[in-house]
Amino acid sequence: MLVRFWGTRGSIPKAMRAEVVRSKVIAALVAADGRRFDSETAVARFVDEELEMPVAGTYGGATSCVEVDGGEGDFLVCDMGSGFREFGIDAARRMAEGHSKTFNIFMSHMHWDHIMGFPFFGPSFDPEVKIRFFGGHDDLEEALRRQQEEISFPVPFEWLKANIEFNKVVPGETVEVGGYQVSTVKQYHSHDSYGYRFEAGGKSLVYSTDSEHKDDDPESEDMFVEFFRDADLVIFDTMYSLLDAWTIKQDWGHSSNVVAVDLCSRAGAHRVAMFHHEPIHDDADIHRVHTETIRYEELIGRNSRLEVLCAYDGMEVAL
Amino acid sequence: MELKQETRERALIVAPNGVIDHDSAPAFEEQLHKVLKSADDGALSLIIDMKDIEYMSTVGLRVLMRVSKRAREASVDIKVAGMNACMCEIFKISRFDKVMQVFDTVDAALAG
Repeated sequence: MLVRFWGTRGSIPKAMRAEVVRSKVIAALVAADGRRFDSETAVARFVDEELEMPVAGTYGGATSCVEVDGGEGDFLVCDMGSGFREFGIDAARRMAEGHSKTFNIFMSHMHWDHIMGFPFFGPSFDPEVKIRFFGGHDDLEEALRRQQEEISFPVPFEWLKANIEFNKVVPGETVEVGGYQVSTVKQYHSHDSYGYRFEAGGKSLVYSTDSEHKDDDPESEDMFVEFFRDADLVIFDTMYSLLDAWTIKQDWGHSSNVVAVDLCSRAGAHRVAMFHHEPIHDDADIHRVHTETIRYEELIGRNSRLEVLCAYDGMEVAL
Repeated sequence: MELKQETRERALIVAPNGVIDHDSAPAFEEQLHKVLKSADDGALSLIIDMKDIEYMSTVGLRVLMRVSKRAREASVDIKVAGMNACMCEIFKISRFDKVMQVFDTVDAALAG
């Protein structure tokens, strides 16, 4: 199972401005300190091995979209944020090489940042494509049709050529989709959101974003610990600091890095991927929070070791 | 968990000990609310001396958050003192250091 992140930003896409690129170039040249490189390979090695993530790369700015690639069979995707457009381009390439033309798409919810990629999804205009939506909401279809009404977008939903179907999933029940056993949990978020656990070939992945964990609800906490139990990877909404999540941003429907580590450690999960990054944060901010989160896990991880990843657009994690 | 108490210079000082986790947090919260009422009744500030706290999970931080909120509503000045290095780091990572008054020692909290 290969987990591929096409979009990791929360709330709204974030483009990189010219001055940010400039600052990265300056930081890289300062780090090189006048060194001479005898080949592009040597330069690449310097960039990959000696520069920190905020200088050498970026966490990206596309909103939520995660692909679960089983190597063969149908496509499986969680959410259709702006990263879904890039995914669609790559999926078209793979279909041209013989990949299945069926897409199984699990939706956490239908806020803009999770559906805005769909109108730009090229394969939906292919009559040979089948798109199977799965979600816990009754109004999933309405949300997707509405965002393509003329007042907002020039191409109405009715013009799409793909065979599109909508399937409702129910928390507590497990369904088999494309070779995965998929279970669902309801999450605390405006208009509700749903988290999913995918299991296949002895591996397990949890996708749990846009989920607030209340500070006074231990029963809910215990339920999520069980949902995350022994997962190989938990993709977790770490948009805010613990303080913000419990104070000024209470009831905004998101969680924190500290709660991510607490729950995943209790659950015995092997890895957690910080996800749904705050759009106010630049690469240095996200990198700092990632470093702090690793340190927090070291401070509290007494009996187990939870690996703390920080998702970025383009990251791949093999399970 | 034991909660030692003393009054010095118009401040009620409470000193919990051990580990504050899922098991001990309810008793910790109950006792803190009681001493908060005592501080309020006596027009005292409240200092939580953390020097004997080995470790506090986020469950304990939640208790501090709720007690701190109640203290603000009651206009009781609340301070935290004497945290070990581990707790200082957890406060920083969780950003609790942005809203709680943190001092190295009780004496510093009394002077602050």
